[in-house]
Amino acid sequence: MTRMFKDVGQDADDEKGMTYQKLDKGRNGSKRNPAADPLGPNSEIGRKLRQYYDELISEEVPDRFSQLLNQLQQQEQQGSTAKKD
Amino acid sequence: MSASPSFRDGLLAAVPTLRAFAVSLAKNADRADDLVQETLVKAWDKQDSFQPGTNLKAWLFTILRNEFYSQMRKRRREVEDSDGSITARLSIHPAQEGNSDLNDFRRALALLPEDQREAIILIGASGFSYEEAAEICGCAVGTIKCRVSRARSRLQEILSISGEGDFGPDAITAQVTNSAAVA
Repeated sequence: MTRMFKDVGQDADDEKGMTYQKLDKGRNGSKRNPAADPLGPNSEIGRKLRQYYDELISEEVPDRFSQLLNQLQQQEQQGSTAKKD
Repeated sequence: MSASPSFRDGLLAAVPTLRAFAVSLAKNADRADDLVQETLVKAWDKQDSFQPGTNLKAWLFTILRNEFYSQMRKRRREVEDSDGSITARLSIHPAQEGNSDLNDFRRALALLPEDQREAIILIGASGFSYEEAAEICGCAVGTIKCRVSRARSRLQEILSISGEGDFGPDAITAQVTNSAAVA
């Protein structure tokens, strides 16, 4: 870890401590701040993600699924021993 | 003991969101519907193991996800070329035709590795908490956080690049071309 920071902090050789601190602060800061929800309403990615998903959800559902559930229910009512595969 | 009508209704009510998750995973609408069908059958068979009052949606997502990965293991090779067909299938929706922005996003999402894609969908779109998503994926909460964060930066990266090159054929080509030019 420390070695990595040394290499990165090439222009701040006399400030290794500073570099380390800065990185650390940035990391903790982003995790602890709830206002900065990375996928929240202020995030473009978050908005697009919900737009994409909402559009999928609002698609018309084919009948096959309610038919399937009806079938499963009927099978069960007709006899739980006759398990169909 | 016959199933309570509410269990059937619960499954039916979950179908739209299950389909959305399945399309996001499988990147193909036909396969997604097969996945949902398989999920409903499995859920029906296992309904005794579901505890009423707990999160039905999370339970169903877990079944669907397991089904997806077990199918994928079976036919890993076919999965690779499904990318092109998604866009074709999904663009049937007339409302989507004019929305090139959303099409870009869809393509970018399809470029993510499965684990990152499912994580960002579960957290950012399906409305699960990090804890629930971790449960669904069978991994640690920290792993989900890490995947979401990677997915997010990757999407930002891809989208800003494809935004620059409006004439580009697709995000990945643009990206390869760009990085080659820089190097």
